[in-house]
Amino acid sequence: MLETFSLSWRVAVRHWLIFRKDLFANVSPTIIDPTLFLICLGLGLGAYVNQVEGLSYARYVAPGLAVSTALFTAFFECSYNFYVRLTFENIYKAILTTPIGPREILFGEFIWIVLKGMGMTSMVTLWLVVFGFCHWEYALLMPILGGLVSFACGALGLIASSLVKNINQFQTVYSLVISPMFFFSGIFFPIKDLFWPLRWLANLSPFYHGVSLGQHILWARELGVGLAIHGSALLALSFLLGAIAYRRVHPLLYK
Amino acid sequence: MGEKDAILISKELKKNYGKLVAVDGVSLEIQPGQCVGLLGPNGAGKSTFIGMVYGATPRSGGELSVFGLDPQTNSRDIKKRVGVVTQEDCLDEAMTVQENMSMFARFSGVPSHEIERRVRKLLEFMALDHKRDASIRALSGGMKRRLVFVRALLAQPELIILDEPTTGLDPAVRHLLWEKVLELKEAGTTILLTTHYMDEAERLCERLIIMDQGKIREDAPPRELIERHCPGYVAHFRNREVGNTLHHYLSEHPEGVVYEDSAGVGVRGPDLPWISAMVSKIETAPEVVRPANLEDVFLKITGRGLGSHA
Ligand SMILES: Nc1ncnc2c1ncn2[C@@H]1O[C@H](COP(=O)(O)OP(=O)(O)OP(=O)(O)O)[C@@H](O)[C@H]1O
Ligand SMILES: [Mg+2]
Repeated sequence: MLETFSLSWRVAVRHWLIFRKDLFANVSPTIIDPTLFLICLGLGLGAYVNQVEGLSYARYVAPGLAVSTALFTAFFECSYNFYVRLTFENIYKAILTTPIGPREILFGEFIWIVLKGMGMTSMVTLWLVVFGFCHWEYALLMPILGGLVSFACGALGLIASSLVKNINQFQTVYSLVISPMFFFSGIFFPIKDLFWPLRWLANLSPFYHGVSLGQHILWARELGVGLAIHGSALLALSFLLGAIAYRRVHPLLYK
Repeated sequence: MGEKDAILISKELKKNYGKLVAVDGVSLEIQPGQCVGLLGPNGAGKSTFIGMVYGATPRSGGELSVFGLDPQTNSRDIKKRVGVVTQEDCLDEAMTVQENMSMFARFSGVPSHEIERRVRKLLEFMALDHKRDASIRALSGGMKRRLVFVRALLAQPELIILDEPTTGLDPAVRHLLWEKVLELKEAGTTILLTTHYMDEAERLCERLIIMDQGKIREDAPPRELIERHCPGYVAHFRNREVGNTLHHYLSEHPEGVVYEDSAGVGVRGPDLPWISAMVSKIETAPEVVRPANLEDVFLKITGRGLGSHA
């Protein structure tokens, strides 16, 4: 067990070493994209929008932007990047000649994606706190939330990797799954007034629960309720998606 | 030596990919310290067999035991004692040579204080030390191949599996690698090698297994294979027109065999006097006269060339 963990950890460290080589290019979009969103939506569009949920528009979108960082980081890491490592670079084939097995590779992938999601979400949250777009009371919960959302969305990416026939098909997954998840998550407008099937669908999305919980945290409102409803839903979905991803990707590494 | 001492025992081992049967009932044993060559045409199932040995590929049937362990359930403990040169290089292109080797040393459980020294020694031996800080992307094909060899030796394995280790190497480096393999063999390491170079197989291995279409066709020492399948000498003519004359000659001297290949026509006879007698009779000088070799055996067994239709 301990050995499984330490070998998985080394796989995660490998991904970190590669990531670190191009740190600026890898981190800058994470900071720049939410900043642009904040400027365009929060300040630009916000000038035309009255209060939403009793908040200025910039404050309304802020939590969702932090959580969406985890979504994109995780999905891209576990779709394109994972797929390239698996099929083009053959990284895993070499790793599998060492005492590391398919299980450790997958656990390593999860460790990496959780840590990466935590790091990226923390940076955006820090940014929001510094510019005063959110309450800071519970901000320390955001890295944990980011890690969890990252895990669930990374699992989605891995499942996608097990389904696509070639790398271009990730585009389709992105348009059909990730984009709708992003837009109907309550990040830009409250979804409680949406047509009921959409609301029902949103409940199946880990990102929706992540954004909602992020809003409870960064608006400093009813944290207990948020944790109870969205926290537990997010945990359950993470577990489910993680298990599916494991079952689908393991055979790709051991065939 | 009995079955108990064998490092690798495979019984009726099978691997299917859908309908395709890649390995079809392979039974063999490898004793400690042996250097075994696994030969066979492209697609024979060599790499698939190897993948099952170190637990990278699940088997579809049969039994397999490596160091007394089952690779399907205990590949981690097996892999701690096995070094593998994969057929593809599979190197981390974004890293430098040093980074990549240190990382793999860590994966393989080499103690931290040992890593630096061991990487340096192996890089020096493979004449790669001047590339230590180069990015792998910047290495030539042969250098990458050498680096894969270094990677396989980092953990000082008891069993070394080499899947076409010398493909793409220049002759000097190939000799360097042979030297290392012989040194390892001397030290008692067990070696399983696949290659398409018959001279390499003959030089390094005391036992050759020829596979074709997932099955073992032959399993014997190189000399014995030649004696059994292609004893004697070969005279080779570049001019194909000699063919008819040769066939005519052989109808009266059935000890010989004629074959055609891309380079012309050849005749194999039991000994040198037989060849000279033939040459003086047909009054055409051959380009080459040579002892029959492993390549002749290989082509015969896998269905092409010398005497395969005889
Ligand atoms: N992952 C796979 N999926 C489907 N078929 C495969 C897979 N790997 C190998 N095969 C098939 O199994 C057979 C044996 O392949 P293998 O790679 O073991 O041959 P080999 O003897 O190593 O050949 P070579 O000398 O070309 O390396 C081939 O027909 C190959 O197409
Ligand atoms: Mg092969």
